[in-house]
Amino acid sequence: MSRANKTVRPKFAREGFFGRLSYFSARALANLRQNVFVSIVTVGTISLALLIAALFLLVYVNLEGMALGWSDKVQVTAYFDREPSPLAVSALKGQVKALPGTAKVVFVSQADAEKRLRSRLKGQESLLEGITPEVLPASLEISLDRSHRESAQVASYVSALRRIQGITEVQYGEEWVQRFNSFMNLFRLMGALLGSFLALTVLFIVSNTIKLTIYARREELELLGLVGATRLFIKAPFLIEGVLQGALGAVLSLLALFACYYAFLENAGSFLGVNPAAAGLCFLPLPHLAAILGGGVLLGFIGSLTSLRRFVHL
Amino acid sequence: MIQLHNVSMSYQAEIPALTDVNLKIPKGDFVFLTGQSGAGKSTLLKLLYADLIPTRGQVLIDGVNLGRLKRSQIPLLRRSIGVVFQDYKLLPQRTVLENVAITLEVLGWGKRDIGKKVFHILKQMGLEDKLNSTPLRLSGGEQQRVALARALVNDPKILIADEPTGNLDEENKEQILSIFKEANIRGTTVLVATHDRRVIENSHRRVIHLEKGRVREVTDVQG
Ligand SMILES: Nc1ncnc2c1ncn2[C@@H]1O[C@H](COP(=O)(O)OP(=O)(O)OP(=O)(O)O)[C@@H](O)[C@H]1O
Ligand SMILES: [Mg+2]
Repeated sequence: MSRANKTVRPKFAREGFFGRLSYFSARALANLRQNVFVSIVTVGTISLALLIAALFLLVYVNLEGMALGWSDKVQVTAYFDREPSPLAVSALKGQVKALPGTAKVVFVSQADAEKRLRSRLKGQESLLEGITPEVLPASLEISLDRSHRESAQVASYVSALRRIQGITEVQYGEEWVQRFNSFMNLFRLMGALLGSFLALTVLFIVSNTIKLTIYARREELELLGLVGATRLFIKAPFLIEGVLQGALGAVLSLLALFACYYAFLENAGSFLGVNPAAAGLCFLPLPHLAAILGGGVLLGFIGSLTSLRRFVHL
Repeated sequence: MIQLHNVSMSYQAEIPALTDVNLKIPKGDFVFLTGQSGAGKSTLLKLLYADLIPTRGQVLIDGVNLGRLKRSQIPLLRRSIGVVFQDYKLLPQRTVLENVAITLEVLGWGKRDIGKKVFHILKQMGLEDKLNSTPLRLSGGEQQRVALARALVNDPKILIADEPTGNLDEENKEQILSIFKEANIRGTTVLVATHDRRVIENSHRRVIHLEKGRVREVTDVQG
């Protein structure tokens, strides 16, 4: 044994998982500081790419919400041949509510129906002469759960309704339901296609940006390998760096998205002539926000991991 | 102990950089490797720290066949070998201190121990005023000494230096050579590639002469 080998080695300072993690994180932060410009470009690219994806998601979510709002008007009306007694009404309502898929049931009595007709024909009361409430049938107006609006489901719902005693006729907008459903399917398909196309583009742009930043530091990667660093030791700081950049990019993109949304709310009224708040616009729900954040983190991590594979040959 | 058995190495088929090299360098030896530009000096040195794997033959260090090492074992080998690269390979964004510290960080040393050890060796190299400069602000000779400090800071078993006196004046060459000698006295096996005749003649050490990838002569001028 040479004397060189007998030198007393100092105690290792970074044993254990957390010791190493803190060292790698410190290294990652130092790298970010030493490569400010490159880091800014990377974070900027990630946040722009995610912003585009998030804007798309925001528009999609709102359009879907609006479309589902329209479909709240999908109603089934059940008519009675005779006005049921108040006691019978509540029994009938209970029976209808028990059917799977019922969201809301409203009883319209003969008198209500007449009132409606009158208010609809205001100014042309002469048409109503001779019409007494008895002429108009009493009915139940039923709205369906969102989960029960497929046309096959509506059909089976209607046949179940017909079996209830006292109901003589059922009307529902069969054609309308079908058209609306095929529209929604097309809309979702387009959304999925556009969305995955967009996701691929984002993945491509971000991974290439990260590849460039890692390429710019291939000398460091090479040197670390030559002085005896393990694969983990070389890669961990870069991976942490990627995760931090991804998270930062995602947060910035969400802030920008919120700014866009807010600016739209403020200004939409003047040029669209509608009150956006009344139109039921909403920001992305929390799970979507979390998904974007997670997407950013994942992008940073996977982008770094795949790029490192190209330059670390240990 | 470093051993090469019938080692051949070609980067591209048909153009060998080394042909049938047989060598034995005992522990604690101090050897020069000479030969014209392109003779294969750097190639031979790279085989020793497993940066290259020979196309034929075996390289053994302390009986371990480097061709048989798993990828995960290579870092352990490299930690016991200090290398001064022909192109230094200093990291331009890091300070002198940080560049030298890398060797010890890789080993998992603590911050304070690293600080002490690095400062000590940089002082030995006469670089105590340049701790916080970046390599690009240093002269060629200073950069060379930083590279040397990084190679020596963890007292390696083997020191490999590829053309370490390249652009130095006589005084600096002397200084570098005396650092090699000190390391050698402390037990490190030293292997220096150079085509500087003067350095070799003044040092009275064993010389391995390469010519077009073959060992032409081994002169023992010790004593
Ligand atoms: N990465 C490489 N790819 C292909 N050929 C290479 C590579 N590195 C070296 N060579 C070739 O191998 C031969 C030996 O090169 P090497 O670098 O070992 O020479 P050297 O003795 O160190 O020269 P110098 O004194 O100029 O540094 C040369 O012919 C060179 O062109
Ligand atoms: Mg060379």
